[in-house]
Amino acid sequence: MTAVLMAMIAALLIPMVEAFQDEDIWQRMLAFASIATKTSVMILVVSVLRDDWMIGMVGVLILSVGNAALMLLAHIIRRLSEVMEEY
Amino acid sequence: MSHSAITDNYLYVIMVLLPLAALMLVIQTSPYQALVIRGILGAVAALIYAVLGGADVALTEALVGTMLAITLYAVAVRSSLVMRLGVLSGEEVRSNLHWRPLLNYLRALLNRYHLRLELVTYDDVQTLHQALQTKDVHGTCLVCRPAEAVQLPDDDRPAQHSNPSTVPVDTLESPYLITLRVPRLYEIFTTELPPVMAQVKALGDDGLDDLRTGDRQPALADASTLTEDD
Repeated sequence: MTAVLMAMIAALLIPMVEAFQDEDIWQRMLAFASIATKTSVMILVVSVLRDDWMIGMVGVLILSVGNAALMLLAHIIRRLSEVMEEY
Repeated sequence: MSHSAITDNYLYVIMVLLPLAALMLVIQTSPYQALVIRGILGAVAALIYAVLGGADVALTEALVGTMLAITLYAVAVRSSLVMRLGVLSGEEVRSNLHWRPLLNYLRALLNRYHLRLELVTYDDVQTLHQALQTKDVHGTCLVCRPAEAVQLPDDDRPAQHSNPSTVPVDTLESPYLITLRVPRLYEIFTTELPPVMAQVKALGDDGLDDLRTGDRQPALADASTLTEDD
């Protein structure tokens, strides 16, 4: 189980490098979505590993609310690019 | 909460991610890119707090630190990092093709300073100047219409213009005249905008002759007193 978690940490590094290198704002948003989902799934894995339902509950909440925040941010950035390409 | 879990090996690897994300956030220059990295930092921080057993802290970090802070920062950045340029609605700036090179150049120029260009249309010159005085816009862009001066016969020209010394200035240089009231924008535009694209002057600079003879200090002083609360 720890090996699975190590593999998830290694997978988490891929979008972090992508977010650091790519200048396009949408590529960074994609990397952000990937990281937000991966971290909450990792919280769920840790909760199962330790048989801790409190952490599991928090993981579910972060998984849903974190993606809601992502949608809010994406909406604001999309409105911004519409203003910039208005004419 | 099992205390043996604290000594797990994967914890050290997860802990390294937090300073890594923080370093990425600190060396960002663009505000929007930094917002996204802030979200990544929040997600990694929530992971660490949850793994270390602080479930309530992790939930607060995800709700407040990531969701609320990012939304508020995005709204603040969106409303502040903008240059509002007042134009006349009769010029049809958005649809007319001969405005496009100037606007593209201005947008690329402002993009280097992470600013957006927003056009605000006004019906006549009076309301345009009024908007500049009341700080509704940061600058105005007008066309000096050199075409009329060229098409006019030579003997009609002194009758049209009471001060004939300004006529050659209009015809030789770019037809666009940008008036700015913010001193920093004036610095950027005078150093990086070539005179063939547009002429730039600060607010309080009456007449193009002053711009050419080079007495710019009083104009900058006037502009700074007008915008000291910006």
